[in-house]
Amino acid sequence: MTTPLLEIEDLHARVCDKEIIKGFNLTINEGEVHAIMGPNGAGKSTLSNVLTGKPGYEVTSGSVRYKGRDLLKLSVEERAREGIFLCMQYPVEIPGVPTSTFLKHAVNAVRKHQNLPELDTMEFIKLLREEGKKLGIGNEMIKRPLNVGFSGGEKKRLETLQMSILKPQLSILDEADSGLDIDALKVVAEGVNALRDGRRSLLVITHYQRLLNYIVPDFVHVFADGHIVRSGDKNLALELEEKGYAGFVKES
Amino acid sequence: MSALLQNISLIGDEIPWLGKLRQKGREAFAAAGIPGAKTEAWKYLKPRELDADDYVFSVSATPKSVDALPFDSYRLRFENGRFCPEGSNLPLQAEVVPLVETFMDKEGRAPFYAEQTDWIEKYPFAALNMACLNEGIFIRIPGGCRLDKPILLDCHICCGGENLFSALHNVVVLEGGAEAEFVEYYHYTGEVKSRYFNNIVNQIFIAENAVLHHIKVQDEAFKAAHIAFSPVCVGAGGRYESFCLQLGADIARNETKVMLNRAGAECEVNAAYKVDGWARADTTTDIEHLAPCTISRQLVKGVIGGQSKGIFQGKIHIAKDCIQTEGSQLHKALLLSDGAEVDVKPELEIFADDVKCSHGAAAGELDQEQLFYMRSRGIGQEEARQILIEAYLDEVISKVGNEQIRAWIKLLLHGE
Ligand SMILES: Nc1ncnc2c1ncn2[C@@H]1O[C@H](COP(=O)(O)OP(=O)(O)OP(=O)(O)O)[C@@H](O)[C@H]1O
Ligand SMILES: [Mg+2]
Repeated sequence: MTTPLLEIEDLHARVCDKEIIKGFNLTINEGEVHAIMGPNGAGKSTLSNVLTGKPGYEVTSGSVRYKGRDLLKLSVEERAREGIFLCMQYPVEIPGVPTSTFLKHAVNAVRKHQNLPELDTMEFIKLLREEGKKLGIGNEMIKRPLNVGFSGGEKKRLETLQMSILKPQLSILDEADSGLDIDALKVVAEGVNALRDGRRSLLVITHYQRLLNYIVPDFVHVFADGHIVRSGDKNLALELEEKGYAGFVKES
Repeated sequence: MSALLQNISLIGDEIPWLGKLRQKGREAFAAAGIPGAKTEAWKYLKPRELDADDYVFSVSATPKSVDALPFDSYRLRFENGRFCPEGSNLPLQAEVVPLVETFMDKEGRAPFYAEQTDWIEKYPFAALNMACLNEGIFIRIPGGCRLDKPILLDCHICCGGENLFSALHNVVVLEGGAEAEFVEYYHYTGEVKSRYFNNIVNQIFIAENAVLHHIKVQDEAFKAAHIAFSPVCVGAGGRYESFCLQLGADIARNETKVMLNRAGAECEVNAAYKVDGWARADTTTDIEHLAPCTISRQLVKGVIGGQSKGIFQGKIHIAKDCIQTEGSQLHKALLLSDGAEVDVKPELEIFADDVKCSHGAAAGELDQEQLFYMRSRGIGQEEARQILIEAYLDEVISKVGNEQIRAWIKLLLHGE
């Protein structure tokens, strides 16, 4: 049997002395798409932050293995270079840093780690044009400071562009669909699906079944109060859409 | 410090006005002494410790080989505080001569700039500079002339065993409608821990409708002292635009006093500093709006690391009846370490109605969310910090109009 890509066992984590992740278990194999759905405040974003190593998130017990290695020992940038990508719910604005400059630094940092030659400006621009075109991201947007003044939909498209360029092994999409109109949703979903090659894996966090019509998951998990309360196939998402979380979440 | 002036022997002391001016400088410096914490204008920098050092003038100038800079210029070389004609090329369209050449007038008259030194009592280091008046450059851009290349004052110190003292006194005159770029570059090679002292005065006169772009880069050794004072007079419709980059020195002050003398005179005084170790970088400005319809703008941004210290003292004075005047001033600092310190003192003196005047100051740290975002894309912690620092300073560096000089400044700041 091959090693799973990601193996989370009995994970407990807290933010500001408050336990948010409580006994979380999940295994993701190469090529699989997992969806996580759950009520507001359940801890979904917290889980994605813990997986990317955001400072301030403290793991109190449990383990996370990525490609068989202890993920929690790696720094934020090492995780990213090893192929973990978080498509953020709220991408950060960075005034003064042109989007293209930022992307070039990111691409070359990852390439360097993979012992690939760094892209020069011409090669990079070519790559950016090709991938940008698919997502409707033009030259003008790429010259602007990173995310500054971008609309909600534009920010999400830029996150997707980064994913297409960096080609991560494991993409975590935290509400990639929020703030997208119907056409943009399709564009983003196409961008994400283009990464599905049978080896790359996805962890899709969403509130809406609609996204899962485009990015069809292999597994759906209901996440409440810091852990998974039920797992199933894509039909579970339809059931949730119909009945809401009431049947899954314990009365507290 | 006292030995410096005792042993000094300068040519031209027999010229009455010159001897008197140097004497006046000596007296003003002796009366004021080197200011310490109790002198309001110097309370943050506290340069008193310089008094304990003994300094000497360099005997002669042996120019080092000249490094190419990434922009074309008329280059005037100073080595250890001495002018080097060999390493210099001068423009033909303008009068550019060593300052000493302005000392000999047939009738024995003082050049006009010597009479415009009523500030001498208030500026002890400028008084010291005057006591040593000898080295420097006199630049006169004739009316209507637009110089095709910047004039570069390339001041290099070769640090050795002794504590070198260099007193440069430059006079820059732009006649009506003239336009020029004036670049000062202070740098060093040799022993990084040796003490030396660059003491500079730039007297700048901008006549009606003339424009001066003044760029200064101070990249001094770790233990160096660098104290500069630029009094600037701007005439009707004239414009003074300056940008100063301070990179290092133990004690550094770049002080600018702009007198907007006639209606329509404008100035833009910008600066950036990036300091580390135990460096102290002081930017002091004094903008005097002395006529109606004058405009001044200032933006100063600093990046402070290690145990270093950034200082900004900015004064805007709007005289009586100077209506429809605008003055704005903003200082921002980025503190990179717990030991970093910033001292800011804005001062507004407004004696006129119908004016727009604003000032602001902000100090902060690198944004953790921004750092995390970049790192989560694979960019290393240090690289991410550098990108943010670069972006931070870019706001003020982008105000440098000359693209080649802007690129040079970025190169000095951030490397290739
Ligand atoms: N930095 C923090 N300080 C204090 N509490 C926090 C912090 N970050 C998250 N929390 C709390 O942790 C809980 C889980 O938040 P999280 O953002 O992970 O929820 P979520 O499942 O992503 O919700 P949503 O569906 O609204 O995005 C919330 O109660 C939230 O207030
Ligand atoms: Mg969330």
